[in-house]
Amino acid sequence: MSQDNDGNGRHRMNRRAFIKLSGSAVAVLAQGARAQRAVSRGSSRPKPKNMLLIVTDQQHLDTIRAGGCRHVHTPGLDRLVERGVRFTQSYSANPVCSPARSAIFTGRPSSEAAVPVNGRPIRSGLPNLGQWFREHTSYETYYAGKWHLPRTYTDDIPGFNVIHTGIGGFGYLCDSLMSRACEGFLRNRSRSKPFLLVASFLQPHDICEWLRLNTHDPGRLRYPELAGELPPLPENFQFDRSEPEPLRRRRLGDEPFKTGWSAQQWRYYRWSYYRNIEHVDAEIGRILHTLDDCGYTDETLIVFTADHGEGLAHHQMVRKSTLYDEAVRVPMVVSWPGHIAAHRTDTTHLVSGLDVMPTLCDYAGIEPPKGTRGTSLRDALEDRSRSSRDFIVSEVADNAGRMVRTSRYKYVAYCLDSTEQLFDMRDDPGETRNLAGETRCASIVAEHRRHLKAWESRLQVPGSIPHQDAWWYA
Amino acid sequence: MAKKAKRTIVGSPLTPSMLTELGAVKRVPSLGEGFDPTGDWEQTYRIWTCHGYRERGNQDVGSMRIKKDVAQGGKTFTLSVRQRVTETDALLCTIEAEIDCLGDAVASPTGWQIASSFTRADGKIAKDVGSTETVFVEGDTMVIKTPAGRRHRPVERPLTCDWCLFEAVQRLEFDGDAPDLEFSLLEGLSLPKAAQRLSYRGRQRVTLGPEAVSLHCFQQLGRGVLPTEYWLDERHRLVAVTSMNKAYILQDA
Repeated sequence: MSQDNDGNGRHRMNRRAFIKLSGSAVAVLAQGARAQRAVSRGSSRPKPKNMLLIVTDQQHLDTIRAGGCRHVHTPGLDRLVERGVRFTQSYSANPVCSPARSAIFTGRPSSEAAVPVNGRPIRSGLPNLGQWFREHTSYETYYAGKWHLPRTYTDDIPGFNVIHTGIGGFGYLCDSLMSRACEGFLRNRSRSKPFLLVASFLQPHDICEWLRLNTHDPGRLRYPELAGELPPLPENFQFDRSEPEPLRRRRLGDEPFKTGWSAQQWRYYRWSYYRNIEHVDAEIGRILHTLDDCGYTDETLIVFTADHGEGLAHHQMVRKSTLYDEAVRVPMVVSWPGHIAAHRTDTTHLVSGLDVMPTLCDYAGIEPPKGTRGTSLRDALEDRSRSSRDFIVSEVADNAGRMVRTSRYKYVAYCLDSTEQLFDMRDDPGETRNLAGETRCASIVAEHRRHLKAWESRLQVPGSIPHQDAWWYA
Repeated sequence: MAKKAKRTIVGSPLTPSMLTELGAVKRVPSLGEGFDPTGDWEQTYRIWTCHGYRERGNQDVGSMRIKKDVAQGGKTFTLSVRQRVTETDALLCTIEAEIDCLGDAVASPTGWQIASSFTRADGKIAKDVGSTETVFVEGDTMVIKTPAGRRHRPVERPLTCDWCLFEAVQRLEFDGDAPDLEFSLLEGLSLPKAAQRLSYRGRQRVTLGPEAVSLHCFQQLGRGVLPTEYWLDERHRLVAVTSMNKAYILQDA
């Protein structure tokens, strides 16, 4: 099974032929698809009365205490984990803000959504989650917080009533006010109509400002009393010196390498990141408490995820934009008391940010938009588990990098660099030994190249997307 | 292609001197004589945020006024807080609180009313997202009253909130040998953050606008908050609060 939800080959249009379509023709086709009423699944499966999608910005997978992280206290997220299913093999479709969000809100890879980098709008004609729900369900659709498609904050998001915008760029202030607005919204609204609420937090993204305000290693800890509390360096702090050029270039451009951080400064950075996590956790907790207070908890499906991860000193990386797990793997927790198993950890299913839209559509009893690449997680969530899909793909670097993740391996290729990467994620989860050049792994590399080629052959990429013709599979 | 504007990373944490360097502080505020931290007072702070670059992205995003009225007998007092934060061009968030406090080391709140409201660009209040609460603390329980009813939450003691700390820190001795103050924080009077500690960091020579002055610094460390530094003048007036990329800067009296 691939990521394409259409098994009948309708989307297997030759990619080059597709690119030849003019922009207007693409828009007309897409509008036509939208004009059709979505077919109700006609299923007798229960629907949650309400849905809440919580998205954080730049949250590393291992940042939830109930998920095993001992460097952080997260009572809010712990409650979600205890009430729902936590996927551990969950990946961002593109570990950069706007591209990741385009995938979450359309179910399309960022290259198809025409959002290969930050600050681009979703391609005209692709419906977002709010538009699709507004057109085909009775859920009222509301949005609070960061959007970034293209504007970071805006009061004009198609398909949604925007109940809160924010202060561009700073999570600490605006997330607090955003969660207050969500609290007010939940307390004030009439209970009669079902809602889909997106609460999109900016934290823990403030670590980006932290990096710029702590670039220079002072050589001593600013708060000496923290010395005993600093988290250790990660086991995969070291990195492969022969990794692809885009990775090396990215690392050298980041603050730690510009100024030569000591181990202590790296550890202080990690400590600071966890405090940002605790900050957003408290804001999420405010919303969860409000759901409890208002009696919404048992009738609300909650999906929690992040747009992308955070380097957090793994491979001596900070921020995002790489296909190492620390940047591309994200938390994903789904809860609906009484319908989804409580406190279950799913370590087998490969999950993508692309799956958010089809999952919410499934629970709403409607089909996702045609061409959606993700898969509903409902079967996996309700323990009627089909086997996991064969692979997922993530993109990065302005469409120049792609990752294929299978159950055991991760394969990474850059179209402008001949160095490939292959990691055995079972025996080397820290991605420290690149096996791509080893003879014994040649067939595994070939298999993953085939997966990537098959995936790419189904892509419907507008002609404006960079690097598309630079892929050797093209 | 347009040339990218020059951006220089700030590189070091915010301090009063750094605020001056970045243009957030242009002079020492004019504060008048006779400040008594144990008496009645009123202070207004600008809320300033830093994007981490010297050239752009640094701006005032709001203000916070805090007024202290000591009750008869002097053992308790009321803090009136009004915080306004502008969000893009489309929304202004106002939080107003009346907090009854004990005159103890952390200004423990015993009861409060808090209201948040959001004003849209056309000046109209967004009624669908505002909220109000009346809260009182009974032992280790917070009783919260809203239009929808009552609910209870446990609290850990000693308890304070971020706005109460603006008051409490001005009554503390500048004593490096004093033990850390340990407490639980109720941030924004709503979000519990345990295991906080406040300690005296010492006296530092800093630049405030064109002048070099000595300020005393307290630091707060704990769960769910980035390290926060409180900067006070010799009269114990809180001149600035810095925390990561955010600063509260005292305005003229």
